[in-house]
Parts: sequence; structure tokens; C-alpha cells
Amino acid sequence: MSIRRGLATAAAAMSATLVLAACGGEGSGGDKGPVSLRMTVWTSNKPHLTLFNEIAAEYMKAHPEIKEIKFDPLPFESYSTALTTQMTGGNAPDLAWVFETDAVDFVSSGALVPLDDTLKQTSGYQYEDLIPSTTKLWKRDDKLYAYPFSTSPFGVFVNRDLLKQAGQKTPDELIKEGRWDWTTVLAEGAEVHRSTGKAGIVIRDFEYKEWSNAATFWGGWKAEPWSADGRTCTFDSAPMVDAMTTLHKGIFEDKAMPGPGESADFFTGDAAMTITQISRGALLDGVKFDWDLVPLPAGPGGDYSVIGQAGIGVVKRGGHTKEAKDFLAYFTNPQNAAKFAAYFPPPRDSLLTAENLAKTNPLLKTEQLESVVVNGVKKGVVKPGHAGQAELAQRVRAGLDPLWTPNADVKGVLGDLCKNISPLLEK
Amino acid sequence: MSVSPRTAVADLPKGGSAPAGQPPRRPFWTRRRRDQLAGLAFITPQLLGSAVFVLLPIALVLRYSLYEWNVLAGDFHYTGGDNYTQLLDDANLPQVLKSTALFSVGLVVLNLGLALLLAVLLNQKLRGMTVFRTLFFSPVVVSLVAWTIVWGFLLQNNGGINGLLHTVGIDGPNWLRGEGTAMVSVIVVQVFKNVGLNMVLFLAALQGVPKELYEAARVDGAGAWVRFRSITLPLISPTILLTSVITIVGSLQVFAQIAVLTQGGPKLSTTVLVYYLYQQAFQFHHFGYGATLSILLLLIVLALTVLQWQMRKRWVFHES
Amino acid sequence: MNRKLPLRTRVALYGLLCVLAIPFVFPTWWMVTSSFKPIGDIFAYPPKLFPTDPTVSAYKDVFDGRPFVQQYVNSLYIAALVTAGTMIVSSLAGYAFARIRFRGQNALFLVVLVGLLIPSEVTIVPLFQMFNDLGLTNTHWPLILVPVFGAPSVMATFIMRQFFISLPNELEEAARIDGIGYFGTFRRIALPLARPALGAVAIFTFLQSWNLYLEPVVYLSSPEKFTLPQALTQYVDSYGGAMWNVQLAAASLTAIPVLIVFVIAQKQFIEGLAHTGLK
Repeated sequence: MSIRRGLATAAAAMSATLVLAACGGEGSGGDKGPVSLRMTVWTSNKPHLTLFNEIAAEYMKAHPEIKEIKFDPLPFESYSTALTTQMTGGNAPDLAWVFETDAVDFVSSGALVPLDDTLKQTSGYQYEDLIPSTTKLWKRDDKLYAYPFSTSPFGVFVNRDLLKQAGQKTPDELIKEGRWDWTTVLAEGAEVHRSTGKAGIVIRDFEYKEWSNAATFWGGWKAEPWSADGRTCTFDSAPMVDAMTTLHKGIFEDKAMPGPGESADFFTGDAAMTITQISRGALLDGVKFDWDLVPLPAGPGGDYSVIGQAGIGVVKRGGHTKEAKDFLAYFTNPQNAAKFAAYFPPPRDSLLTAENLAKTNPLLKTEQLESVVVNGVKKGVVKPGHAGQAELAQRVRAGLDPLWTPNADVKGVLGDLCKNISPLLEK
Repeated sequence: MSVSPRTAVADLPKGGSAPAGQPPRRPFWTRRRRDQLAGLAFITPQLLGSAVFVLLPIALVLRYSLYEWNVLAGDFHYTGGDNYTQLLDDANLPQVLKSTALFSVGLVVLNLGLALLLAVLLNQKLRGMTVFRTLFFSPVVVSLVAWTIVWGFLLQNNGGINGLLHTVGIDGPNWLRGEGTAMVSVIVVQVFKNVGLNMVLFLAALQGVPKELYEAARVDGAGAWVRFRSITLPLISPTILLTSVITIVGSLQVFAQIAVLTQGGPKLSTTVLVYYLYQQAFQFHHFGYGATLSILLLLIVLALTVLQWQMRKRWVFHES
Repeated sequence: MNRKLPLRTRVALYGLLCVLAIPFVFPTWWMVTSSFKPIGDIFAYPPKLFPTDPTVSAYKDVFDGRPFVQQYVNSLYIAALVTAGTMIVSSLAGYAFARIRFRGQNALFLVVLVGLLIPSEVTIVPLFQMFNDLGLTNTHWPLILVPVFGAPSVMATFIMRQFFISLPNELEEAARIDGIGYFGTFRRIALPLARPALGAVAIFTFLQSWNLYLEPVVYLSSPEKFTLPQALTQYVDSYGGAMWNVQLAAASLTAIPVLIVFVIAQKQFIEGLAHTGLK
């Protein structure tokens, strides 16, 4: 058979079906009767889900119009993609957890509905109790689009046994001496690696991919990826170049941190120190070494802290916005927020005290909570986010890749990176 | 699937055949008409499926490529050829196409080369060849994601591969993090996973080569290489063509391996077209542009198909 | 090649084969042994070929809070249905394209072949939209209907067509003269002869469905509906800490039963594939 005729036929078939394509649309009917609600989350941690389900069960007892409330764990790494894929197909959840880095996108796109009216009208909600610095990211035109259920500062978890084994001073000693800074930390990390073969310090979940977690490092230099208005790239600024030069040396010369493509988990005892969020503290349950939690070390720019946030929003296209808002008002009321505090530092002034947090975090001491959590939330800088985050994050990641090689030209790489992402920032 | 039209056809010959001795009045149900009906009935499930699940979606993709679609806001509006202009201006695209070509060429060459080598080795009359055949084939039945996850662990800088290399005194590279080695890793993982399939097809083809030809060549004093080149290769050329078609088309669809192993990095070195398309549509929410990239992919596949068709005429020794 | 190879050649051949076998066997070996290691040993240096301190705790965690059994059943039954459906659809179409003469045959065959060339990523979103309009997302229907009737079955149709072309026609002609009709000829004469090709199609299709990754990720959102490949990538939990050994245990549970079936039936398996008529 002639291939040309065949292709022509195939093309004809395609164009015929193109006509069919003209009729298509989105259908999402408003259900009557009992409603099922679905909330996408990125934790599949059992205690978390148990707590959520208990709260939901309580709510449903008083609200027969709600048939079911489902917490739907999507994998952490591909969470945003999976969520938007569901929304693309019209399979939007009613409520969704949103990463701080995606906040700008979700809040500005109109994907979420404003919450303040419902929350303010709910009796006993105490809307004014929400700390302004925690809701800032989730507001637009003075309307709140997501409830920041977790405002979790980054701290340093320390394996004291491993440090001592390597003949190093522990952070509490260093803090007393006023030497808890990056120079000391990197030197200690290098020594741990040299003498024990284990990892010195690990920036958790960074893995040379999730670069926004490196903000916990460059914050010490007061470096920022872009200007406050988000329109100018500052990856090539002097503080950032200094920070990255130090980081690069720490990784490739001092070997204070595991290099790219190397895995070491702090909680299994393979690293002396790790930078991570306080919400990972639950992993300390059952560890066999003597540990501590301390604030981030100081950099040349002085003390600093970084927070990660997570919001819960009501998705407009989920279809049941009214029911979802009502449930959210219950889910995050002061009593339930207090229960969450066991895992997620709450955005409420009344709850965010070291004594309060100590009640639900039996593993942590009051002074650890005071220094890391309470101070962290109050003065912390949120991890960097921007409109068009997914694409920007991917570009930055690709742009930083050449940096993670032993002989990288730090200044040159960062300059190229800025050239590459500037068009996106200016959009 | 409805069976009724077919059974109806099956009953027809009795009623339809004209009684003998009558003037030659042509019966309505001629062989040709019956063939026509039966043929269409037999292919109906497949044809309807193609229309609904292949052609219609392609048409929809064509339509979407003319729209800008903001997934989050649910905004969907006509932009004419904007997506196509963006395609021509896309600074990433040359690198993506280069990665795609590297991956496909690397995969096809390595896969077919190794498959042929293994098939020739297994075709020797030796004991225990079934054991080796089973071993080489076994990754084919291991779930792709499981296989890839395991290689992901092994290819870590402090993973099993470099550990093994170290014990024999080699300092292995940082496989998944080097620009060249990441591509090599993704290709090699895929080759070891699926080379067994092509190996088996080659083995069957080799066993189909008449032994007398080799004997005759040997009498003529031809060496092993000459025999391989002038007898084996031409006779198995249809299989080579077929496996290369399957492998190339398959190579353009690689997804899980890249998603699990490298996520397209470092830089764009393993971002093949399909992965880029996935990123644009599902991660960056540029669905219209993703659809435009789909069209590009479609054109590439069509061009390759035409090319292979041409090569088939020139290279393939004989066809059944 | 009838004469016996000299000893030295044989030893060299065996040596070469053994070396070549390493990358095919080692990953599976490492996966299974590592799933019994404590988590800290997985990146131990030098790599341990055997777990020094074997533990089955990872296997308990595989089932902990995750519907792994259900996911296993999902993958199995979807693959079984897809395999059976594809065998029916593709043998019918392949037979017609090879044996029955009808107008538009070649053109229609090419139309069908378009499916062979379309990467599934190209059409996934329109398909997602269609199934969503029908209320069939987060069900297994898309994972069954699309492979059976859509692009993935075209390869099977192609294999069946090639096989039927290579079969001698006399038996069928005789049967047709006996008046058992088209479907009777197909079912009673052609299909039994096509056993090897059907076997190959079955294996091909089963493996394809078993390996499917992108589609379940896009269509399914509840863990109890997930299939195995998708379930495997879920053994990562930022809050729950590293789960490397659990992931490897789950991967082993996915791979080993199929490997055992394969080893037992490897002769039929491989020879079935080899006789696809793709020569």
C-alpha cells in the first residue's frame, strides 16, 4: 500500500475528528444531599492522619449533611503536580494543603476562595488570634485565601554522641562561647566526616534539587534569590556569591556535607547535624543517640531564621466551597489548632508559647522550643516563592546544577543563572 | 463487543447462494459484499477504539495548542498561533531535542548491539544456555518502576555501583549528577531492562537461518566474520528493522525512568521531549504549550516512520 | 555450527556470559537482600552482598497503614482484564486485516496504526478530560478501556496480522467451503493455529499493563485504587523519614512472584514471544 495515501487518510481522519473536538466542555454539577469532602495532604504519617480523622469524625457527628471527609495523601515530591493535575481534569479536591513556595500562584490565580468571612463569623474562632506575620503570605487585597496551619521554623538537630566521638564541641557549648556560626559548624562537620566517615551536616530535603531549602544556609549572609518585588534576580549579588562560595567549599573541599548523589539520614544516625523543620521532630522518637535542637548558626550577616509554611485552602472548583469552608473553620478552631501543635507550630498568638508547645511536644525541652520555634516564627523569613513557581524552580534548579561540581566557577554560574531566569521574573 | 452481526454473517451463505440451474442472477450477498461486511465487523472494536481513544484525543490536542490554558484559574482562551511562536523562540528546545536524539540513538544502538551480541552468544551449542537466556530476560518481567528505583539506589554516588567499582580499584563517577553520565545511566538502565525482548527476537531469527548456507560458506573458506556479515545480517535484516522500529518508538515514550532517576537533570541533559512536555503541561501549567509540544512530538514520530519506511525498501534483504 | 567448540573457546564464552549477566542479576539480588537490611546498612560501604543482621521489619512496614494487598489485587486484575480484552480485540482485527478482503482495508489499517506511533503522553490530558466528563476518573475503567481498545492494543493487532499473513490459507478456505461462516472459521480454525502469537500478545500485554506508570498517576487519586508501580513511589514520606528499606521490600514483593512464575514457565514464555511472526 502506498504510504503517502495512507498518511493522507490518517490526516483526513484527524481533521474529521477535529470537528468533533469543537464540542467539549467542563461539567461539574452541584450535588444535592449529603456531601463528601476531600482534602489533599502530603503527609502519610499515621499519627497525623489519625488526628485528622478524629477531628473529622467529631465534625460529622454534628453535621449530618456531610457524608464523608477524606484525607487524601499525595506523594510529597510530586504533590503540586498531582494536585494541579487533579484540578485540570476537574477532579479538584474540596480542600488542599498548599506549600509556601506555591502560595503566590494559588493565592493570585483565583483557584482558592476567600476564607475570612466564614472564619470571622464562626463563633469561638478568634480570628484576631492569628499572628499577622503568618498570614501575610496567604493574603491578597486583605482577603485570606488559606489558613497557615503549619508555620514551622528550621532548626539544627544535633547528634551529640557523634560530635563527641569526633572530638568536637557540642552546640550548647558553642552557643555559650558565642561561636555558634557557620565557620565553626562547617569545620566541625568536616572533622566529623574525616574522623568517623559519617556525614557532617545535612540540609534535609535539599539533595541539590530542592534549592529553596538552601535558603536556610544563605540566610546567614542575608542573601536573597530575588528582590522583594520579585522582579530582579539577586542570585548574582555579593552576599549570595559569598554564601554560595562558602557552601561550595564546605561541600567539595572540606567535605562537611554529603555531596550530590550521596544519601545520609540524620535520624538513622548517619549525620552529626541536620537542618530541618521542627515538624520533623517526631522522627526523634526511638533514636538511640543523645540529641539536641538548636537555632540555625549565625552567618556573616548575623542571626537569622527561616520558616517553612503550609496552608489549607478551599478549592473553588471542588464544588462544595460552602461546606468546605465550614469544615475548615472547625478543623482549625483554637481547640483543634492546639491538637495540631503536636506536629505543626500553630499560627495563633495564644498557642505559640514555649510552655504550650512543650505540652504537645514531649520530646522537646522548653528552652529548645523557645529559642527555635517561638523566636523563629516571630522573626523568620519564609522560604522563597514566586509567581510561576514550578517553572521558575525548575529553571533555577537546572541553572544551579553546574555549581554542584568540584571545579565550579561560582560567580559565573550565578551570573548565568540570573540571565536565564530574568525573563521569567519580569513577566 | 456485540456478536450478533458476525453470527448473522455466518448464516448468510445458505440463504444467499442461488439455486443451481437458474439464469445467472447475481445474488445480493456476493463473496465481495460478505467479505466487506465481515471485515468491517471484525475490525469494529479496534476501529472504534482508535477513533475514540487515539484520533479524537489527537484532534483535541490540536485544538488545545491554539489556546492558553491556566489550570489553576480555570482560564481557557484562544491565542491563535502564540504557542507556535513560543515553540520557535523556546531557548530550551534545542537542548531538549538534542537530549531526545541522544537518548534515542544511544538506546537503539546499545540495545540492538547488545541484543544481537547476546543472541549470537546464546545461539552457540553449549550446555546451560537456557539458564543464561533466563537471566538476561528476567529484567523484562520485573516491574519497570521497581527496576528503576533499585538502579536509583545503586547509582548514587555512595551507592552499590561505585562501591563495587571501588573494591576493584576504580573511582566511579557521580552517575546521576554528571551531565554526560546521567544520560548514559538512564540509557543503560533502560537497555538492561528491555534488551531481553530484542535478544529473544534475534535468537529466533538466527535459528531461522538455514544451516546449509553456513556450511556452504565454510567450504568456500569464508571466516566467521564474513559469514556473519554476508549471511546472518542480511537474513535477519527484517528482524533488525522491526526491533529498531519498536525500540525507537519506545525510546520516545520514556517517562518513568527519567521521572524516578534524574527528573530531567542535571541542567537539561536528560530532559527528553516527552519529559519536557510533561513538565510544561502538568508542572508549569502551560497546557496549551504542552499540547503544542505534543504536536511537535507527533511530527517527529511521523517523520521517523516515513524515514524507516524508506530505509526498509533499501536495506532489508527480503520480505515475507 | 554443529561441530563442538574447542575447550578454550567454551571457557571464554562462559566467562563472557557470566560477566554480561552481572548487570541483569545484581540489581534484583541487591533489591531483595537490601530489603532485609536495617536502614542504616543500605548505603554501607563497602556494599554488603548479604544482610549481616537480617530483619523483616521493612516487610511489616510495607503493609502498615497502606492498602498494599488491595493495590496488588488491583494491578493483577487490571492486567488480567486488559490481557483478555486485548487478545479478543486484536485477534479479531488482526485476522480481518490479514485474511478478509474489504474496501478501505489498507487505509483503515493505517488509521489504526496511528495508535502505534502516538506516545501516551500526547493524548493523556484529552483522555483524562473525556473520562472525567463521564465520571470515570479515580476508577479503573480508563486503565482497562484505553489499553484494550486504544493505542496500546495496536501493537497486538499488528502482531496478530503478521502472524495470520504467515499462516497457510488452505485450511480456512476448506472450512469456509464447509459453510461454517467467517466467525466460525476464525474461532475454530484460525484462532487455534494462532496460539503462539496469542501467547506472545498475552505476555506483551500483561507486562505492559503491569508496568503502566503515567496513566495511574494521572487517573487515580485514592491509595486503595492505586496500582503497584504507583504504590511503590509512595514509600517516601518526608514526615515519616527515610523509608529506603520499606520501598525495597515493597519492590521485592512486586517483582518476585512474577519472576518465579517466569522462571517456572520460562520456556513457554520466551519461545512464545519469539514466535510472534515478527520475522
